[in-house]
Amino acid sequence: MKKFRIAGLILAGIFIVLQFFQPELNRSGLGDNSILAKEKLPEPVAAMLKHSCFDCHSNQTNYPWYDRIAPASWLVAHHVKEGKKQLNFSDWGSKDVIDKITELGKIGDEVKSGNMPIPSYVMIHRDAKLSKEQTEELIAWTVKFSEELLAKEE
Amino acid sequence: MKRFLAFFSMLILGIAFVSFTLSQTGSPSAQMPDNVKAAVDKACFACHNTASQNAKAKEKLDFSTLSGLAKAAQIGKYREIGETIENGEMPPKKFLDNYPDKKLTAEESKLLIKWAEGEVKNLMKK
Ligand code: HEC
Ligand code: HEC
Repeated sequence: MKKFRIAGLILAGIFIVLQFFQPELNRSGLGDNSILAKEKLPEPVAAMLKHSCFDCHSNQTNYPWYDRIAPASWLVAHHVKEGKKQLNFSDWGSKDVIDKITELGKIGDEVKSGNMPIPSYVMIHRDAKLSKEQTEELIAWTVKFSEELLAKEE
Repeated sequence: MKRFLAFFSMLILGIAFVSFTLSQTGSPSAQMPDNVKAAVDKACFACHNTASQNAKAKEKLDFSTLSGLAKAAQIGKYREIGETIENGEMPPKKFLDNYPDKKLTAEESKLLIKWAEGEVKNLMKK
């Protein structure tokens, strides 16, 4: 019994020490160059991007308390780093029209295949879940918006 | 005369059908220049076609149906093709470990990148 207590104390100690090693937070703000600042998106689309994508694909992550506790905080930091590498909605304004269209195509593909938002993330962050209707709406928007961008170019 | 007409229209229909099926499957889009098609056949087509077993690969890019996509979607795909080759992401490293002869030569890479960017530009102009 005593052994268990000691093991428990050691584990708790490790857990507490872990908390001193926190990754840098991704909170420099969505920015003036973001897709929301640069484009007039339909309200439901803006809301979907905000709730389901920006945590990993923008310069402004919302961290609920459980995302601030190590080791979960490290996983979040990893997702943010890798996610922003592939797609950063805070950089939208500096892309040319072809890159914007390319990103929209990828967004449609990833959402359609259910890769995004990352399923393990959605299990914990329930408000990021997209219903079937929302998914369809988002995909339809990527198609429509690409065509609008293209038409503007001509 | 009537019989001749009937025969003739069957013939036309037959040709139309065959060319339609060929355009649906078979090889990458017909408009590719020969040297581009050869490079795509060698290094990409096996994974990126409609009949591919590699679901993830064909979901992202299907050379057999590429030219049937909406214009904006095609632009996106051609840009991605250029980018993945430029960044050395395609063909996948693991695949090349097993099939080193499928690696694109420097000339082939350059050719494909130039072709893909050319397609992007053409589509933007249309
Ligand atoms: C929990 C973090 C997280 C959330 C939430 C998230 N993503 Fe991602 N996303 C990633 C990571 C990590 C990658 C890079 C790794 C990968 O491709 O799996 C990525 C990659 C992508 C890519 C590039 C894929 C490729 O292969 O080129 C797109 C497009 C994308 N995400 C779109 C979205 C969209 C749209 C949403 C919201 C509906 C979303 N993501 C939500 C983490 C996330
Ligand atoms: C061994 C099979 C294989 C071969 C050969 C191959 N690919 Fe891929 N490709 C894939 C897979 C699998 C994916 C999906 C990767 C993922 O989702 O992470 C992919 C994805 C892609 C994408 C989408 C990238 C993205 O980030 O969304 C492009 C573009 C692409 N391949 C182009 C090519 C080109 C061009 C060639 C030939 C030079 C090629 N591929 C050869 C398997 C292959």
